[in-house]
Amino acid sequence: MSDTTTFKPAQNKSTLPARLLLWLILGVFAIWFLLPAYVVVGTSLKGLEEIRGGSLLSLPHELNFWAWRHAWSEACIGVKCTGLEPYFWNSVAIALPSVALSTFLGALTGYSLTKWQFPGANLVFALILFGCFVPFQVVILPMAQTLGIIGITNTVYGLILVHTVYGLAFTTLFFRNYYVTIPDELVRAATIDGAGFFTIFRRIILPLSPPIIVVSVIWQFTQIWNDFLFGASFTTGGAQPIMVAMNNLVNTTTGVKQYNVDMAAALITAAPTILVYIVAGRYFVRGLTAGSVKG
Amino acid sequence: MASLTIKNAVKRYGNVEVLKGVSIDLQDGEFLVLLGASGCGKSTLLNMIAGLETLTEGDIMIGDRIINDVHPKDRDIAMVFQSYALYPNMTVGKNIAFGLEMRGVPKAERDKAVQEVAKMLQMDHLLDRKPAQLSGGQRQRVAMGRALVRRPKVFLFDEPLSNLDAKLRLEMRTEIKRLHKRLNATMVYVTHDQIEALTLADRIAILKGGEVQQLASPAEIYDAPVNMFVAGLVGSPPMNFVTATVQRTDRGIGAEVRMLANGADQVVLLDLTGNAADLSQHIGREIVIGLRPEMITQVGQTANSKAQTVTSDIDVTEATGADTLCVLTWNDKEVMARVSSGYAQVLEGTMDFAVDMTRACLFDPATEMRIA
Repeated sequence: MSDTTTFKPAQNKSTLPARLLLWLILGVFAIWFLLPAYVVVGTSLKGLEEIRGGSLLSLPHELNFWAWRHAWSEACIGVKCTGLEPYFWNSVAIALPSVALSTFLGALTGYSLTKWQFPGANLVFALILFGCFVPFQVVILPMAQTLGIIGITNTVYGLILVHTVYGLAFTTLFFRNYYVTIPDELVRAATIDGAGFFTIFRRIILPLSPPIIVVSVIWQFTQIWNDFLFGASFTTGGAQPIMVAMNNLVNTTTGVKQYNVDMAAALITAAPTILVYIVAGRYFVRGLTAGSVKG
Repeated sequence: MASLTIKNAVKRYGNVEVLKGVSIDLQDGEFLVLLGASGCGKSTLLNMIAGLETLTEGDIMIGDRIINDVHPKDRDIAMVFQSYALYPNMTVGKNIAFGLEMRGVPKAERDKAVQEVAKMLQMDHLLDRKPAQLSGGQRQRVAMGRALVRRPKVFLFDEPLSNLDAKLRLEMRTEIKRLHKRLNATMVYVTHDQIEALTLADRIAILKGGEVQQLASPAEIYDAPVNMFVAGLVGSPPMNFVTATVQRTDRGIGAEVRMLANGADQVVLLDLTGNAADLSQHIGREIVIGLRPEMITQVGQTANSKAQTVTSDIDVTEATGADTLCVLTWNDKEVMARVSSGYAQVLEGTMDFAVDMTRACLFDPATEMRIA
């Protein structure tokens, strides 16, 4: 079939207006979607006077970072006027260990479910998968009791435990589906070579896992950093994560509503997840689709 | 090096019996090929020798040590996989050394062993590459190197050549054969390719439905298959089967076969007198005559002077280079004859064939077992 010519759609000159229209529509939608982000960033850089006097969409007259500084270190959250800073570090202290733990345990679980198939492995996986569909509101009460019994209510450790446990369903799903695509013969060869369960995991499986580790880390970091429900339910005061603190900051109104501080606080809160996406976003998409092509 | 003994090995998954009591005795340094179609249990048997699957019943011994419950790493075996199973994250050198490293061999000794094996397989220049940077044939070599480096008692091969292209497959086949001669190691080799089996094996075990059909040398399997399954599996093109009725004739015993000669029907009496078996009890009954294509050839070609000459019309010819295959119709069944390509010009219409009936295999049509 070497003489068949490749099919090319005819280049029609009359498509030019249609193309321009297409670009126009896409441009309008792009502006439409970016507008809120512009308003948030713009407002955070304006002084209060300017917000009250000017239009919502106008550019700031001068770059005024007062609102950012205020949101970070001075704004009142409840009765304490510390800004978001301590809560930001709370969130870091919660998110980093939970992300690391849930990713590691998910990898280990996914590895044992696929490469060391035991009777009922698929049932166990189905049950773990079930955890992805349980609404978090359902587990708040039993979880509160559990934390109480262990004695880590209202601490960073409590939230680490909660996020690790509820992240496991997703991380196991990720790793299990990724490891299914790694040939079993690798494990068999390593077994004959004399490597055991953990040696094979550490020396052969983990070095093949970076794409899915990136997916798991981004997913878990976003979930945990953005969590409001568990944070609000299991912590009060000083142990709160930033998401809860930001909510309280916005709700703590004394006199004039400081829109610029609210906007800056929102941006500070969202910054880490945005950063993670910018740094690792393309690996995220690649990892999510890895293994879905060849089945 | 050691002998390998499989005693009545049975494997069941639930109610499904994959292996139904397989017994094979392998001498030290022998090359055994397990041959069969997919699903016949040959890979299961190999995995059981490797220790990757457990036995339901029976024993496997290396030397005089029963290894049923011995961990794969302690069996002193090495395995080459169909997909090669190279560790993608390690260099070729590390791949080969991994098994030694796991056994706690010191680094200097490891490096020396890797160098030796690399030299033997002519891949010393590849040691720093990753498997992804290698061609199929090179990966195959690395997989062999990984097995060789530990100097195990028994080598296991699981269809190691089936992912290679035709030319490379021939090269590697010779290489494996050469390796076996050089190491004089006990080897078990699984394949579904009968040519590989015939060329490599000291003995072939043919499996079907979890049972050994025949365990014999390639020559014996080829010349004296125990049943029609084995006869049809080995040889390319496969053995011709013609069903005919045994009769007593004035010259002895024969069987009538109908065919066309110059467009006219004729009945030829194939002479079975020279056949080894006593056919007197089969007179009046149907038997299956098994003739390999090379047993039907041009007159003067066979060494056997007693070959019978038969005139038959040719339906189609297929040139294969050295030989030309002629398709004939005997008793309404297709029969392949193999003639030298020099005869290719005259291969239209009718031709005289020399049929070597003394080498024909005779089978019972009911049991499909060989009578003679």
